[in-house]
Amino acid sequence: MVKLSENKHPQEDFYTQKAPLPSKLVIPLVQHTGISPVLKVNKKDNVQAGSLLARAESLICANVHSPCQGVVEDITQYNHPVLKKSQAVIIKTSKSDYDFSLKHNLDNLSKDDLLEAIRDAGIVGLGGAAFPTHVKLKPLKKIDVLIINGCECEPYLTCDYRMMVEHTDSILKGIEILARVLEVKQVFIGIEDNKSEAVKRFNSKLHTRNYSLPQVRVKVLNSLYPQGAEKQLIYSLARRKVPAGGLPLDIGCVVHNVATCFSVYEAVFLGKPLIERIVTFAGSALKESKNLWVKVGTLVSELFLKEALEFKTEPRKVIFGGPMMGVAVDSLDWPIIKGTSGVLFLSEKDVDLGQEKSCIKCARCVDTCPMGLIPLELARLAKKSLWTSLEEFFISDCIECGSCSYVCPAKIPIVHYVKLGKQKLREKTAKPKA
Amino acid sequence: MRLLVEISPHLKQKYDTGWVMKQVVFSLVPVVIASVVFFRLRAVLLVSVCIIGCLLSEVLVNRLRKRASTLSDYSAVVTGMLLAFLLPPKIPLWAAFLAAAVAILVGKQIFGGLGQNIFNPALVARAFLMAAFPVMLTSWVNPFNLEAVTQATPLALWKFSHQFVSLEKLFLGNVPGSLGETSSIAIILGGLYLILRGVACWRAPLGMFVGLSALSGIFYLKSPLNGSVFFHLFSGGAMLGMFFMVTDPVTTPVTKSGRFIFGLFVGILVVIIRKWAGLPEGVMYSILFMNAFVPLINKLTKPKSFGR
Ligand code: SF4
Ligand code: SF4
Repeated sequence: MVKLSENKHPQEDFYTQKAPLPSKLVIPLVQHTGISPVLKVNKKDNVQAGSLLARAESLICANVHSPCQGVVEDITQYNHPVLKKSQAVIIKTSKSDYDFSLKHNLDNLSKDDLLEAIRDAGIVGLGGAAFPTHVKLKPLKKIDVLIINGCECEPYLTCDYRMMVEHTDSILKGIEILARVLEVKQVFIGIEDNKSEAVKRFNSKLHTRNYSLPQVRVKVLNSLYPQGAEKQLIYSLARRKVPAGGLPLDIGCVVHNVATCFSVYEAVFLGKPLIERIVTFAGSALKESKNLWVKVGTLVSELFLKEALEFKTEPRKVIFGGPMMGVAVDSLDWPIIKGTSGVLFLSEKDVDLGQEKSCIKCARCVDTCPMGLIPLELARLAKKSLWTSLEEFFISDCIECGSCSYVCPAKIPIVHYVKLGKQKLREKTAKPKA
Repeated sequence: MRLLVEISPHLKQKYDTGWVMKQVVFSLVPVVIASVVFFRLRAVLLVSVCIIGCLLSEVLVNRLRKRASTLSDYSAVVTGMLLAFLLPPKIPLWAAFLAAAVAILVGKQIFGGLGQNIFNPALVARAFLMAAFPVMLTSWVNPFNLEAVTQATPLALWKFSHQFVSLEKLFLGNVPGSLGETSSIAIILGGLYLILRGVACWRAPLGMFVGLSALSGIFYLKSPLNGSVFFHLFSGGAMLGMFFMVTDPVTTPVTKSGRFIFGLFVGILVVIIRKWAGLPEGVMYSILFMNAFVPLINKLTKPKSFGR
């Protein structure tokens, strides 16, 4: 693990504002890891806030809703921050208000009611991987530990932090629901030590004992990258190791992000689907870094049009996600999706990452790799196109966290080579053997 | 608006290879000072000639291979300084220059340049001189008084006449020997800087310390004539090897346990050579010998990845 410069200031101290309603929204059908849901609207249809746009009809799938009132203008291929291109519903917006106020009483709801509410709301993991949440709530094996991820170890990003500070109570109510559905014995809330305010709020709320939770502990972790990576977090909190190629449920654990817990709360208590989220906008090219409540499907360019964001200098790189694992995009016309935690705008001075030189075998990459790999070998073998040898160095275990590239003095883009290698190996196995 | 699209991470540590090598140059400053104190103008001349020789050879190779300049990575400077420290102070300057060329051309560039070489270039050059001009490489002078007749090093005195030089002298460096290896205190200062700054890893030095101390300690217990642990640590090239040779990134293992094991074996070999071989000193050969085993050590110590 490695200590990174955090760059979380000053956006971490600003209260989250609501972003203005854009004139149109671009809502991709697939915003999760899994199968595409089935489109349920046609061109020219009128939609309301919360109308179902696409329905999950397979197991690993998630519903998609309209974030506001408007008209379906088009259904077409559009930019997608993860898939590059995908089918999207384009909505011409008219009104942003909504009224979600079911006010459920938790005690009257069965486990199945809860699960249904969560599935209907189209909730996916908001920490990055965007795996449908309801699937993780029906595990095939017995889970005894629920882990809540409040690490937010990526530099710049502060959306989870603001969520924890501004909505502590709702998050805890969300956790209550998850714990009930999963019937776990123990809950850990993992927060890095650079977020002491969040730790304080959780502890004081828990002190009131207003929640019917099993044994719950807020654990303060070192601010090291990648502390929030699933396997590392489980190990730090529960001292259990997810077997290579395995899942957390293999060792009785499941991890949910704090923002996901908040969405679960909204789904169950308010009947509100996942149609907006907190997104961090930061970076040296912005006049002011901040967190905004943004409707899913908002194009980044719209936020500049509506003056919710302003440039200080021309950006040279725009990144969806954090600086360590995020995806660079080629324009501002990309939509915020459910899994978008931040958008970064870097100016010229932050994009010169240095020329690639030859590896000096200094082993800094080895010493930092959280997965215990030998990154320099992965880069070397991929460069020589020795794809099959990559497996001897456990390339499939690499979580692409970027720590190795970060510390490398020779500026070798190791993750680039790893991704290349993984792709080649996939192509190899996909091809039937002659 | 022209936006760069690159693969993550989009954040990188500020330092580069040149910075790392520059830190090594800084850490060698105490050793340079000590060598100037003890060997005066000779030290200045030798260090300069070796650095210039290395840089010129580097330029030559870059020209021949039509490559961009590699001087900014400072690795040739480091090699030059280390080489100078390994040479007897009275060695003719042309021989030092020749050695510098050998270090870069044979020690490094033949393998493909920085990062590719198997053996420590400075040690390769010294081994070459030892084979080609053995007399030149075994003629020593006293510090301060460079005109005096040939002297024996502390290790030679011990090995061939069972005399011991005081530890205090060994520690300060006021003894005959190679230019930069005599002053243990200066080397330790520089080495600690290197390790505390996180430039070099402590594992190989620790391994070498353990191997050398343990074996020499056992021998000492059998007979004090074998020399004490401190005697072996502070004499010859042991300190220079411990802090500046087994910490060379390129020619040592990349795995954590491998680095320790590498150092451990070097330490053990040093004592074995000093005790049983025909030569009084064994640091150079021990390291070169172990360099050859680095790929094997890497292979045998390949860590299990997380969750396997
Ligand atoms: S950090 Fe870079 S230079 Fe060092 S061993 Fe790894 S790949 Fe090579
Ligand atoms: S090899 Fe993979 S897991 Fe290891 S540091 Fe690099 S990106 Fe992270």
